[in-house]
Amino acid sequence: MPSIKLDGKEIPFEKGETIITAAHKAGVEIPHYCWHPGLSVAANCRMCLVEIDATPTRRQLVLDVLAWDEKKQDYVPGRKPKLEPACQVECIDGLVVKSDTSPNVSDARKHVQEFLLLNHPVDCPICDQAGECKLQDYWLSEDKQPKRKTEEILHKPKAVEFGDTIVYDAERCIVCTRCVRFMDEIAKDPVLDKRERGNLGEIFVSPGRKLEGHYTMMVDEVCPVGALTTKDFRFKARVWFLKKVPSICPGCATGCNTWLDYDARTGEVPRLRPRENLAVNKYWMCDDGILTHRRVQEKRTLHAYVGKGKARKEVSPIAALKAAAQLIKDAPGKVAIILSAQRSTEDNFALAYLAKKHLDVKELFLARVGDWDGDDILRDNDANPNVRGAQRGAGDTSLSPLSELAEPVAGQQISVLIALGGEADISDATTVGALGRAKLIAIAANHGPLTENAEVILPAASFAEQDGSFINRQGTEQRFSAGPEPAGDSLAGWDILARLARQLGKPIDWKSFLDVRAAMKAALPSPAAANPESAAAAAPAE
Amino acid sequence: MTLSSIIWTVVKILIVVGFIVNLSAILTWMERRQSAMMQDRVGPNRAEITVFGYKIRLFGLLYPIADAVKMFTKEDFIPPNADKVLHSLAPMLSLFPPLVVLGVVPFTDTLCLDNLHEVVQKNGVVASNWHFFSSWIEQPSCSLPGAKNFIDGCCVIGCQTAGVVHQPWAEHFGTCPANVAPGMIGAIHMQVIDFNPGVLYVFALAGMGIVGASIAGWSSDNKFSLMGGLRAASQLVSYEVAMGLSIVGAIMVYGTIRLDEMTRWQGDHVWGVFVQPLAFILFLTAAIAETKRAPFDLPEGESEIVAGYLVEYSGMKFGMFYMGEFIEIATSSALLVAIFLGGYNMPFLHRDGITIAVGDAVVWKQHIPHILVILMQAGAFFGKIFVLCWFQMFVRWTLPRFRYDQLMKLGWRMLLPAALANIFLTGVILIAFDRTGTEFQERMGVVGDFVNLATAIAITFVQLWIVIGFFGSTQPAIRRNAFNKRARSAGEIVEKALAS
Amino acid sequence: MPQPLVGSFPYDKVKGTAVPKPTRTASEQGYVSEITKGIAVTMTHFFKNTRAMVRGERPDPVVDPMSEGITTLEYPDQKRPYPERFRGVHRLTHRDDGSPRCVACLCCSTACPAQCIYIEAGEYGGKDKRHGYERYPVKFVIDELRCIFCGYCVEACPCDAIRMDTGVHPVPYDSRDQFIYGKNMLLAMASQAGKQKHENPRAEPPDADYGPIERLAGHH
Repeated sequence: MPSIKLDGKEIPFEKGETIITAAHKAGVEIPHYCWHPGLSVAANCRMCLVEIDATPTRRQLVLDVLAWDEKKQDYVPGRKPKLEPACQVECIDGLVVKSDTSPNVSDARKHVQEFLLLNHPVDCPICDQAGECKLQDYWLSEDKQPKRKTEEILHKPKAVEFGDTIVYDAERCIVCTRCVRFMDEIAKDPVLDKRERGNLGEIFVSPGRKLEGHYTMMVDEVCPVGALTTKDFRFKARVWFLKKVPSICPGCATGCNTWLDYDARTGEVPRLRPRENLAVNKYWMCDDGILTHRRVQEKRTLHAYVGKGKARKEVSPIAALKAAAQLIKDAPGKVAIILSAQRSTEDNFALAYLAKKHLDVKELFLARVGDWDGDDILRDNDANPNVRGAQRGAGDTSLSPLSELAEPVAGQQISVLIALGGEADISDATTVGALGRAKLIAIAANHGPLTENAEVILPAASFAEQDGSFINRQGTEQRFSAGPEPAGDSLAGWDILARLARQLGKPIDWKSFLDVRAAMKAALPSPAAANPESAAAAAPAE
Repeated sequence: MTLSSIIWTVVKILIVVGFIVNLSAILTWMERRQSAMMQDRVGPNRAEITVFGYKIRLFGLLYPIADAVKMFTKEDFIPPNADKVLHSLAPMLSLFPPLVVLGVVPFTDTLCLDNLHEVVQKNGVVASNWHFFSSWIEQPSCSLPGAKNFIDGCCVIGCQTAGVVHQPWAEHFGTCPANVAPGMIGAIHMQVIDFNPGVLYVFALAGMGIVGASIAGWSSDNKFSLMGGLRAASQLVSYEVAMGLSIVGAIMVYGTIRLDEMTRWQGDHVWGVFVQPLAFILFLTAAIAETKRAPFDLPEGESEIVAGYLVEYSGMKFGMFYMGEFIEIATSSALLVAIFLGGYNMPFLHRDGITIAVGDAVVWKQHIPHILVILMQAGAFFGKIFVLCWFQMFVRWTLPRFRYDQLMKLGWRMLLPAALANIFLTGVILIAFDRTGTEFQERMGVVGDFVNLATAIAITFVQLWIVIGFFGSTQPAIRRNAFNKRARSAGEIVEKALAS
Repeated sequence: MPQPLVGSFPYDKVKGTAVPKPTRTASEQGYVSEITKGIAVTMTHFFKNTRAMVRGERPDPVVDPMSEGITTLEYPDQKRPYPERFRGVHRLTHRDDGSPRCVACLCCSTACPAQCIYIEAGEYGGKDKRHGYERYPVKFVIDELRCIFCGYCVEACPCDAIRMDTGVHPVPYDSRDQFIYGKNMLLAMASQAGKQKHENPRAEPPDADYGPIERLAGHH
């Protein structure tokens, strides 16, 4: 494999790769603003300039310069290599590149950094990017000197609304055009552009248009500074308070890889960010996927409830478990279960295992939410992240849709239902009636049609609060990790089922997530095809 | 026992108890304030009552009242497993003995009521002509043949002129002239219990103090209390011995165990501290140890056993221990005063007035009415007690606590041998003194007069020094507190902010 | 050098150095002279201080040096002046129009080692002059019981919005809630000099020296 030498380190590359891409793949970062691995090269920020030595096939560009001589106290003529943007120069085998080791490069970075900050308002205190801002990072690593400009900075429009989701601050903008290129190349909606030059340069929305579509929030993600911020996350948290764990978007069957940012003090999850996985979502996510973080807070079943309608009252989890066990004991042979396409494979397996092995349940149903509008970029029509996982949890038993529930309930073959998850798309009245007639035990994180009709509600942890896995539309099993502690009285879904089994006197003694995985492996001998990148992502947070 | 004697006994009890209880209350204030002065602090001065809109603080003298209110209203706690009877009995046993010890201590010389009036016989009717202060200037002439000169100690046998009986003036301390005529009332001994055991009674009751502390320690059902009680018992027993033996020398010199007679001896001769200096120091040490206060406060030993036998006491039960402690200070001071510091005697103050004389040379004489002499003596006695209490406070706030082995060593290996040596030495000197002739003894009397003179001069000097030093006029330095204004303004901001 | 000591204890086999017993003179052992010395010291203080008290010549503990005499204060009546840099109770500085300078950046609560500061950020509305330039604290709560008065919040504040120059130390209250200082309380505090505004001038949108938005004509 051909390789280049960056700061003395051998870096392999494939043909056609630029220096910065090769370095990025090798885990070496060359400072940059405008370059993004998923976008085309603009080379307008000049931050990634590197010094490239001459090779037999490539001569070095050299500039005549005046250099300050300390002894003579005067400028003397000298020469120094012309620096080239690493994002634009293609790799050649044996190329010797100096980045951090070259004083010329350091000098150039310092000056570029100072230049970019010339008109920057330095309003880090009110900027949501503070803490993960490249301007801050590179000022610390490359510049580290106070601003030399004493004049009032150039003032440009602030808090410009680009659409329903994005707010733009022209003063903070360094006009790297990442957002323009993203809308162009990825979202295929070239609604953003740049106007004016130099000091006055700014990003704007095409007149008469708004920044809209399913991929608006990604412009905040690609923005290296605080110029573009989402209304969703704006002023909600300071990023240095947030911890992150690798997770999977529960929005649709695509199963985009995400970073789940959470505040460990409050258990809140203020945002999701895309996690690089070239096989699934590359670097991107859709708006609705990012907004799935709201499911961790909204409509949560934080406590156990017993009773239906007005008779419903909050009880202790133990009391609810006992009530649920009593319901199951009172109706032997008349129990059916509803698996959920919204919950993890392990939860589904746990319920199916309990039902099939210990409760002698024959009929397994699947609750799923309705479709949403998919596209060719990332979004799948199926808004359930884990239809395949639910089926896998059920093993070889086929899952019936909820609409087939009405008949056996009416025929008294089923009187108790154990449902996983609260959400379901129930449109027809007969199914609702059937749910109302049967005694329903809902193990749910969020309120929905199933919890509405439930006799007993057991609070389950949300996807952010428990370990688990989804199997996406490609059949790839992707693990996600627990972030904050389960809110309220909630517990992981499999944990609730294990406790319920113990209440019923059944020998299920899973104590940890790994126990469930082991049980699943033993019960279901043919695992789904594992995606190697997803397996890597399942490792603990970086 | 006549009615008048009962009334007089009640009056004397009221005087003694009233004095001692009030003194102990003042001592609680004094201890805090004095220690503050010694330690460059201000001390408690903020207790305040409002009378008709005026806020009265009295330099913190209201603290004892506040303390009393607090102690009476606090929860009276008895530990669940404590012996309830003994737990309640202990404070009484601790408070009672030091209070009754004072019964045998004379607080003034014998009051001769007959010296306060003249018996007038007119037409066979006997009547009293009271003159409390008239004899200050008037000198009843002694017309009877054989009567001594008035100033010289007056008429030993009394004067009678024109039907008026002038009582003869008592010549010696404690004596009153005999009832020579009808209408005479008699003498009042100014001590509550007039009986012979004297010092023995004192020791018998002082020994009771141990019982209170050890019962308190035992009955509290607390290991710290028990240790405190044990410490108290062993300490008090040890120092009781030294205390008793230290006083034997004085008893040998005075030739009596009655406290009133001891006091009279000192009035006639010289203060006991000058004839028994070692005994004085030993008795003082042992007395401080008996009060269980620093440097002998091991039974309480806050740093080791929390508060010793007091751990489980609260409210007025603790208050009784507390009072008992201060009454003990006052009592031990009273004993010290009676035995070593001349009791109610002041140098050159005799029953008939002041006579400054060295040997036979009379320098100055002033007749003083009998009632005034008695009052001056009482003042002297109580004043001396006060000064001694003040001194004991100094000891308490100056010296750190002994270690327990040091305490025992001091008691048994230093005080006890020293007391025995003192007895031996006193015996030797007494025998030698008896063998000398009257001439030498008269000379020693002159020496004693000189000592009295020196004492008088010293007392006068100290009083003058205090008065001039404390109240003499100099320019008072008045400084403005420049920063208080600012501090107050900041406080006002807070208050304003709180109000808004 | 270990000294061989007399006794059954095997000192020669034990490692360590014997500490010599302190020697005492006869006067020390005799107590009386030493006690006299000690009492002389305490008496000196007693008479000096009592005399000063009686004569009203007590040194003013506030302005006089603390070298001699009664050096304690009668606290609520007298107060020792705090140094200029004394860190008192916090205050939030004002802008010229009385609004808080704080922009709710949470730097103070980040720096706070006691985690006693709670802030909820809010945005100035669309018509506000500061819309887009500043945000403000909807809630700003300091738990003065938790606060350790280290002053890190003041150090951390990039806007000179929080200060500890009130010269007021925490006032004792009778319930814990009263130690929870809210935004209005903190804004009501003033500096030792009575000032409520900030000290560091910084151009902000409503100020006159804040530059205009430069933009070429012809665009929206």
